[in-house]
Amino acid sequence: MRKNPSLRIYALAYLAFLYAPIVLLPIFAFNDSRVIAFPLQGFTTNWFAEMWADQTLFIAFRNSLTIAVSAAVFSTILGIFAARASTRYKFPGKPGILGLIMLPMVLPEMIVSMALLVVLIAVGVPLSLFTIILGHVLICTPFAVAILTSAFQSLDRSLEEAAYDLGETPASTFRLIILPLVMPGIISSLLISFTISLDEFIIAYFLGGNQTVLSVYIFGQFRFPAKVPAVMALGTILVCISIILLTIAEYFRRRGIAKSGGKDTGGFL
Amino acid sequence: MTTTEKPNMIEFRDVHKYYGDYHALRGINATIKAGEFFSLLGPSGCGKTTLLRTIAGFEDISSGAVLIDDRKMDDVPANKRPTNMVFQSYAIFPHLTVEENVGFGLRRDPRSKEEKAKAVAEALEMVGLKGYGKRAAHALSGGQRQRVALARALILKPKVLLLDEPLSALDKKIREQMQVELIKLQREVGITFVLVTHDQEEALVMSDRIAVMFEGQIAQLADPETLYRRPNSRKVANFIGTMNFLPAEVLSEGAGGIEVEAQGFGRMTLSSDQVMSGEAGQGAVVGFRPETLTILYDSQTATDREVMGTIEEVVYFGDMTYYDVKLDGTTEALRISMRNVFGRPVLEIGTRARVAWSPGALVMFR
Repeated sequence: MRKNPSLRIYALAYLAFLYAPIVLLPIFAFNDSRVIAFPLQGFTTNWFAEMWADQTLFIAFRNSLTIAVSAAVFSTILGIFAARASTRYKFPGKPGILGLIMLPMVLPEMIVSMALLVVLIAVGVPLSLFTIILGHVLICTPFAVAILTSAFQSLDRSLEEAAYDLGETPASTFRLIILPLVMPGIISSLLISFTISLDEFIIAYFLGGNQTVLSVYIFGQFRFPAKVPAVMALGTILVCISIILLTIAEYFRRRGIAKSGGKDTGGFL
Repeated sequence: MTTTEKPNMIEFRDVHKYYGDYHALRGINATIKAGEFFSLLGPSGCGKTTLLRTIAGFEDISSGAVLIDDRKMDDVPANKRPTNMVFQSYAIFPHLTVEENVGFGLRRDPRSKEEKAKAVAEALEMVGLKGYGKRAAHALSGGQRQRVALARALILKPKVLLLDEPLSALDKKIREQMQVELIKLQREVGITFVLVTHDQEEALVMSDRIAVMFEGQIAQLADPETLYRRPNSRKVANFIGTMNFLPAEVLSEGAGGIEVEAQGFGRMTLSSDQVMSGEAGQGAVVGFRPETLTILYDSQTATDREVMGTIEEVVYFGDMTYYDVKLDGTTEALRISMRNVFGRPVLEIGTRARVAWSPGALVMFR
């Protein structure tokens, strides 16, 4: 059978559309011109230096880091509870509850942030980094639950019973057997939640008050053409960090499955 | 059987277990003796695994009592019971080495590191895995995992070792080899073994006594030979091996035995232990195992009684041949198995054959 070439062209065009803009980031980050346009003007690392010297950027970066780490830790802890409950226990209304936990994955963030904003203002909670963390935990938890459920599911129940049978308590069984076996899933969940939180814009913009985070800062910088090359430099660094984190996450997820002898049933990469 | 004089190790007193509305165990009463190799045999869903798990403490019972070594186990959690289990999936901890797996139960043991290491090495040697200690557990074969699981359970010197279908995942050859090794091991350590299996052959080969279970109840509890020769119901007879049945009728009952008229065989006298009551309404039958009848060759004379029949089907197994023979005066063909002894030809379909039988080999169900 002859293959239709138009499908191949479509696939290539799709990939180009998806990744070409990202490839442009490092190109212009090293281009010796304030104007983002071809032809290129020669190599420079000035923009990285300029970015490095920017005090506001530094604060935004620190804020983002604080938020992303907190959101990753909290959503992963919540994810562990939910995944354990969904794979091991039966309780009334389980499918409904799990469905509601997963819902923020498909709920528009705009709605989540608007609703949260209205409630927070009504209750009188001042907008701060803390309120951004709240919103991010909400959207990261479904991803944590998805990853951790897969990790807990591939765990043979008789492993727990065996440890219990050999004299361990439920608590020490969790520490000695369950935790080490789902650890790859936990690391994977931490990294993916971290990345999601770091990238997030709408919630950070709505719930941040006067605190700036990286994504909001970058968007703001685009108003000043002179600042754009430095943003490109920052973008380049962020792309590198994202790729590294996602690769580590996927590595741990796969290693976890291989270790417990389960079958690969999904994942993000 | 010498086991009958030994003290009780496990006792079930009217054990019931419900899962919601489902009545999984329906009044189990049984005792397992110390040092016995005991099997729970039955089809899937009969409650045998549930019963085993009540000994281990993984299942709470709804009513009744489970006693281990004369102690009620109601409030004793699984991690405090004097039992250890070999799981169907072996449940080898995949992130630990063979050594760490086997020594896992010694974590709370006050002995020194060196003594524990020695105990682990001895346990590995006992199951034939000497020198495997440093290997990663997930790299082992099925048979090796099985041995690690055994060593891990036995190192704690439990009063009872529980085995949940331990051989079902192995190839036939390795399974048969492990059966023999398990029997030897049990004799060596002298620990009470309780085995769950759906494989009747495995139960017959390995056990001192077997409890045959159907639908949450023990249908018969006996040693393998009694179970095979004197099954107490048609259901047990059919589950363990093959049994032929012929319609029969009780003519008279007296002190000298029970006078019976069976289709094909005619009149005979059976002793009372050959007659199993409790199946009223199904019509009385006599039953016999395929190997208890003999097809005679012209030169042979019948030892007890003989009837004529026609061979309708021949199935050749190498060491054995199965013949489906329709005896004169019967409605259905019966299965007779014959060893293919040297010099004896395999008979052909349609051959008229003399069949020798003996009343002593029969069981009556009514």
